[in-house]
Amino acid sequence: MNAAAWPTGLAASWDLRQGEREILLSCLGCIALGFVLVLGSEHAAGRQLTASAVLPLLFYGVGLVGLHLALVLLRFRGDQVLTAVVACLAGFGLLAQYRMGAFAGTLGADDPELYLIPAGFAALLFTAVAGANGRYRWLAKGLWLWAGVSLVLLVVLLVTGTRFRGAVYALGFTTPTEVLKVTVILGLAAYLEQHARALARWHPRFPLLPPLRALWPLLAFWGLLTGLLALQRDLGMIVILSVTLLVVLVRATGRVGYLGYGLLAAAGSGALLLTFFAHGQRRVEAWLDPFQDPTGDGWQILQGLSGMYAGGLWGEGFGNGSPEYTPIARSDFIYAVIGEELGFLGCVLVALFFLILVQRGIMIAGQARTDFGRLLAAGLTTVLAVQTLLNLGGVTKAIPLTGITLPFISHGGASLLTTFTAVGLLLAISDGPPGAARRPTRTVKRAPAADATPPTPAPAPRPADRPARPRRRPAEAKTP
Amino acid sequence: MTVSTPLQLFGALVDSAAWPALRIILHLAFFAAAVIILWRIWTRLAGAKARPGQTLQLFGTLPMALVAAAFLGVLIYQASWHLTGLFRPEFVGFMQSHDRREFNPAHRIQRGRILDRRGQVLAESQERDGRVYRVYPYGPAFAHTVGYSDPRFGAIGAEAAANAQLNGATPEVLASWGELGRQLLTKDKRPRGQDLQLTLDAELQLLALQRLGNRNGAVVLMRPADGALLVLANNPAFDPNRLSPALFSGPAAGTPLLNRATQGLYPPGSVFKVVLAAAAIESGFSGTLNCPASGYTTSSRYPPIRDHDYYTEAKAGRTWAGHGNLNLTTALVESSNVFFAQLGVRLGHDSFAGAGERFQFDRQVRLYPGTDRYGNLSTGRLPRFARNDLYGLAQAAIGQGRVLATPGHLATIAAAVANRGLAMRPRLLAQEPPAPLGQYMAEQTATRLAQMLRKVVTTGTGRGIDGPQLAIAGKTGTAQNPRGAAHSWFIGFAPAAAPTLAVAVLVEHGGYGSTAAAPIARDLLLKAMELENAR
Repeated sequence: MNAAAWPTGLAASWDLRQGEREILLSCLGCIALGFVLVLGSEHAAGRQLTASAVLPLLFYGVGLVGLHLALVLLRFRGDQVLTAVVACLAGFGLLAQYRMGAFAGTLGADDPELYLIPAGFAALLFTAVAGANGRYRWLAKGLWLWAGVSLVLLVVLLVTGTRFRGAVYALGFTTPTEVLKVTVILGLAAYLEQHARALARWHPRFPLLPPLRALWPLLAFWGLLTGLLALQRDLGMIVILSVTLLVVLVRATGRVGYLGYGLLAAAGSGALLLTFFAHGQRRVEAWLDPFQDPTGDGWQILQGLSGMYAGGLWGEGFGNGSPEYTPIARSDFIYAVIGEELGFLGCVLVALFFLILVQRGIMIAGQARTDFGRLLAAGLTTVLAVQTLLNLGGVTKAIPLTGITLPFISHGGASLLTTFTAVGLLLAISDGPPGAARRPTRTVKRAPAADATPPTPAPAPRPADRPARPRRRPAEAKTP
Repeated sequence: MTVSTPLQLFGALVDSAAWPALRIILHLAFFAAAVIILWRIWTRLAGAKARPGQTLQLFGTLPMALVAAAFLGVLIYQASWHLTGLFRPEFVGFMQSHDRREFNPAHRIQRGRILDRRGQVLAESQERDGRVYRVYPYGPAFAHTVGYSDPRFGAIGAEAAANAQLNGATPEVLASWGELGRQLLTKDKRPRGQDLQLTLDAELQLLALQRLGNRNGAVVLMRPADGALLVLANNPAFDPNRLSPALFSGPAAGTPLLNRATQGLYPPGSVFKVVLAAAAIESGFSGTLNCPASGYTTSSRYPPIRDHDYYTEAKAGRTWAGHGNLNLTTALVESSNVFFAQLGVRLGHDSFAGAGERFQFDRQVRLYPGTDRYGNLSTGRLPRFARNDLYGLAQAAIGQGRVLATPGHLATIAAAVANRGLAMRPRLLAQEPPAPLGQYMAEQTATRLAQMLRKVVTTGTGRGIDGPQLAIAGKTGTAQNPRGAAHSWFIGFAPAAAPTLAVAVLVEHGGYGSTAAAPIARDLLLKAMELENAR
């Protein structure tokens, strides 16, 4: 890669990404401020501060700068707000995890926790750049691969995993099922791109009858998937993926009827859950009236709420709360820790960042040039939005607890890397069409794509890969 | 300490006196930085809006609106716990008993004081070493009615019933909402609750306890016109300042946790004759019944029911001639068991059950708002007899056998006689409006019964407490029980002509009603009248 080969391009790229740079710099400043406060509370608590205490911030900062420089160098044209928001959320996560003792003890450069966020940035960068310039559409070819990988992963996990607190974990307490949030959505988007036209063709005489012939492979796959997930008692994942299925299905076909059947299925499975699973019943009871059994089923939610109440409007301050009284505070209940130490205001800020994340996703889905890109972006955004809402709603007792993590902020490597990868895909989709005319405001000359990204050699897109133009709209698809 | 590296400098800064203030400044700076980021993103988004074809992309699309509404809903619901959790009494209770965070405002709530009717402090919060403790200046004297509020043992009594008010969670005026806002903004860790005034009178309560001495028993004094309880005294009691697990583990000696006045079920003995007399008047009974010394029984298989006089005379080695013919008034005055046993059988099962229904036996009457079972007043138990069980009916008619009643309910019955037959609901909170409980008897019945009860004190079994200062009306009781000496009872009211006070006194195993319970009632009524007149 010779920078001298396209000097104008680099300068233009540097200018183009100025907005992202500004936000990232203020983000770095904000996180550094928080870091100073966390360090201060650690020192006040009597812990010895060594030079290595600054390592997490250093790794985060280097990762941030590296991410931005790489995006500029590779002349990435994708969304800039998305990277900034993700960096902020990851920063909050870093502060929260540092505060919860993630880097406690003698911290060395060999601590794997240190590399988690930089690795996330790397995954994001790799996915974004590899899929940029329309190359992400190659992923649509792997329909059966995505479906197969998802199911095989679940089966292998069921056979080899260990049960803990009802859920199934793989070796080293990792949760490989997190990967489903990307692979299943990839497969779903690929299938719907192929069959959207058929799925939109409901019975002409019985308008309530969906096209079963096109639907049955999807239903069969979904039955297997949810069945396997139910065996693992991963209720949260079932909800996330099923809501996403419905959203993407309606988005692809424009048929709201699917939503109606989805709601029916949700009501049915909800009733089934309440009748046959004591586990689910107890959760709903603990949700409706935690004071029934305050020291048992209601303990976790009430301790979280107590912490938040103690935090008040402004919070206790970094490191000054006592989140250790809330069970599983580091992963599922990290939002309660934020409420305790940063107060209601901190919670509003975090919620706003997630809201912007979702807004970018919806916008990217709306602007994508291919059906696959539209559906994939919509699916990934729905996954992020539903996961965030399920976690926030569960911790605040607005809905029953489902035991899922908060993206970017909760503890958990698999969850973090998957979320970064998903955002990387969103960025790739936002990069724009292959070989299409540049937006008129830009004067950047583009180098051949093969030079820019070595990992996936992308040949010049064949006409067959291109989506039909003008864009196939759902409304048109109904009346072929 | 040598300051050589930036880290050591930082450490010195944290240790310095300026750190707490600096910490808050940095905390606010962190918020400011986050707001700046959001503002920068917003300006970018707003700038992007200007591009053609994207005007609807910002927040205008339906999915975005739905997601934003969901987030907003979660945040609003969260605020109902996070910011205004004080208005959830169960939540505050949970935090007070189960949250170990020292900075939780729930621990610093200066709960309102509990006052007697004249402003004497019965319970208040005091802060020691940064923690708030509940202090009960009178110790065990008000333990059952005021109750306790303890992080380990929870809350009972008025402390539980008025928990929300005491914690300051019932903002009825705008000023208290303003106070809540101030506490939120300034992070004030000492929310103040509102005071609670009871109808009790500390001086009378202490007098009642002092007159009970070390005898077990209960004293209830109330105002017949509005049901306000002035005394609700129990002995033994526990000290709410010193609660220990031993108190709650198993049946302790003397059962100090039992609120004898409201929950203690005792055979009422002769005081129950008031109920039967009312039933007899209402059924139109008049005339006399023969009451021989040999007593009365429904079948030769059962021992005869006799009068007290028979036993006292027999004990002294004399033979007693018997009362002869008695009418209702003289029978009540002499407290003739033989008369009332016959009367009960004559009235019959249905009339007896009807009287029990009318006097509201087998009920729970709430003393406080809320549904705390401990705070209820149990009225008593009136058994249902088999049709052919006449002996049981005869025994029940004299308040023996399977009839049980609480001191609180017998005070309510006395108050109903004093209040022209209308029983008012006994109440403890001064703020609660008086409420009727039921019309126990017709007004004329009550008037006649009141005259008879006055005669009991002037010429009958209660004449020991008759004096020139105060015209007391009432009925003594001596209740046989399987556990030892008879329980001593007195129920009554004063002044007899225009009653303002009603009383019930129980002394466990105190012997004759006229010797143990009646003097306590007299002393209490005299003192209470003195206080009333001084007001």
